Formats: sequence, structure tokens, C-alpha cells
Amino acid sequence: MGLLAELTRGLVRGADRMAEFTSKCGSRFHKKGRGIKGMGFKVKGRRFRLIQEMIPEFVVPDLTGFKLKPYVSYKAPEGEEPALTAKQLFMDFVAPQIEKDVKEGTFDPHNLEKYGFEPTQEGKLFQLYPKNYVR
Amino acid sequence: MRLTALLAMATAKLPPGYRHGTHRPGSYADKIRNPPWLRRRRLILEPLSEEDWKVFKGDTVEILKGKDAGKQGLVSQVIRARHWIFVKGMNVHYRYLGKYGDYPGMCVPSEAPLMLRQITLIDPADRKPTEVEWRYTEEGERVRVSLRTGRIIPLPEVEHPDGIVPELWIDGPKDTSVDDALAKTYKASLKTFEEEIMELTGIAETRRARKSFWY
Repeated sequence: MGLLAELTRGLVRGADRMAEFTSKCGSRFHKKGRGIKGMGFKVKGRRFRLIQEMIPEFVVPDLTGFKLKPYVSYKAPEGEEPALTAKQLFMDFVAPQIEKDVKEGTFDPHNLEKYGFEPTQEGKLFQLYPKNYVR
Repeated sequence: MRLTALLAMATAKLPPGYRHGTHRPGSYADKIRNPPWLRRRRLILEPLSEEDWKVFKGDTVEILKGKDAGKQGLVSQVIRARHWIFVKGMNVHYRYLGKYGDYPGMCVPSEAPLMLRQITLIDPADRKPTEVEWRYTEEGERVRVSLRTGRIIPLPEVEHPDGIVPELWIDGPKDTSVDDALAKTYKASLKTFEEEIMELTGIAETRRARKSFWY
């Protein structure tokens, strides 16, 4: 859009007023960030108190012997498996356990926690709803 | 640049009433000829649904009307929005490229588009023009069938835009091999990804966030 404005406005001169005002613009005393999330708060009106837990930290497990690489070969055919849904996960993981217990006669409808049922999300670090983790 | 700007660029929508030309939408030439405020009269096209489209890039077609009537050629480009078909080497006019000073420029042939009505598909058995219809085989596959002979016209092979032939591809150091990519190593579990990583790396987090509310 800036290119077109230059071309079609002919004799009109001046800066591109529609461009984004970044931290590279303005005087050297005009300090501006690039939109990161705050990692602390101001104490006593001026001093900034940084909170270590708010700084993102990447936790990467040991990747020795990991076979997957950034790109996939062109020879690989398209996958045919459908995307994983909650119902599919239930049928794959939980349903066999419930079936086994029902056949043995040890199924207790009041003790669903042993199959992974969570009555509340309170007290959990990663709550599913409301989602409190980024991903 | 910002992720939102990048995504907006990738899924750029054309303005309403945009008239497709021979230049690719978004290219420099197209931006000069179709600035965002341009509003041209809408063209009237034969109503044809997306499913009924029969001519694809790589097909052999015969030209019925025009300068090269009666000739067969390969489709080099298709612009569905205008019902345009470019046949390689056919319906050609000449123009001069790179003129400067006294040098008149290089004379170059350029194909003009043909409309759907000026084109027919060819039956590969006897190489004669036919009417074509979309029908289903017994397996349930949707194929083009010539109405005169009843023979199936196979769809042309879709070439990779980079010119890569998958059968001749040699894997580089950053390419996952086919076996590794197709290996199924997923183990179903009710843990979230973050919980699994915490277990693997042995991180134990007993602190919990203070309860907060938002509206």
C-alpha cells in the first residue's frame, strides 16, 4: 500500500503517514517497545520489579536419538489418519479399561477417578477449562 | 514482521468485484492495474459451478474457433474466474520486449486466452474432439467420460510448482525419511503435553497460581 501511495499520488510529497510507528521512529528519548507482555510491575511508582516466573523459559527434553527432522521428504505420501478428537481418545484409552472392569464386575459408577475423570479443575497446574496454559 | 501481518498477507482476500487479468493477483503489475479503489463493471459469465469444471492444466484440447481453429494443444494455464484457457503456442500474437533507444526489442509470441466455448476436450483413443461429462465409476471415483465413445479421460498429472519430481527426490540432512515420518509412535494418554514433558524432565511444581477473575 505504501508503494502504491507513492506511485499514484504523483506530486504529493512527505512521509508515509499510514506506516506503523515502531521503536525505530521518533526522537532518541521516545522509548517504545515492540508489544511483548509485561514481566513484572512497578514498585513505589518508578522501580520495576521483575518476576522470574513471568519470563518464558523453554523446557526441552533430551533429543538424542530423535528421528524426526524439521522437514518431511517429498516421497512421503499424505497421511490417512483422521485428526484426534476427544471421543477417539476416550475410545482408545478409557473405554477398554471400563469394558474390562464391567466384565469382571468391579465397575463402580461412583469411582470414575481411576479412569481419569476429573470432577473439578481446581488444584491442577494445567487446567483444561478455563484453559490456563498457552498452546 | 508481525505474525498477524504475515497471516493476513497469506490469506489476502481479493476486493469485491475484482476482475481477473492475465497477471497474477498480488503481483506488481496487477497492483498497478487494479489498485484497491478500482471498481469496474462486472463481467457476465456463463453460470458454471466449480464441480462441473472439466478442463485442467496439462489436458490436450482442440480449438474450435479463432485463428488456430482445428488445432490441438496442451493447456498451459487455466483462470477459472474468467473461464479462460491458455493453450501453449496457440492463439498467439506478437509483441516486442525490452525496447530502448534505437533497439526495437525482442519479438516474443504471447498466447491470448480462449473461452470455454471455443475449446473441447479430446478423446485419447481416437484423438478427436468430444463432449465430456463427469460420472462415477463402480468404485465410486469421479471421472470424466467422453459421451461419444464412453472412454474415461484421465485427469492430467498435477506437476509440483517447484518442478520437483517426488520419485527422483533425494533426501537432504534436514529431511525426515519416509519410514520415520510414517512410523506411528503415538501412545494415547490423558496427560497434556506439558504434564508429560514435566514428568520426562523431572520438574515438580507444587505452587499454584492465585485465583483470579475476569469478566
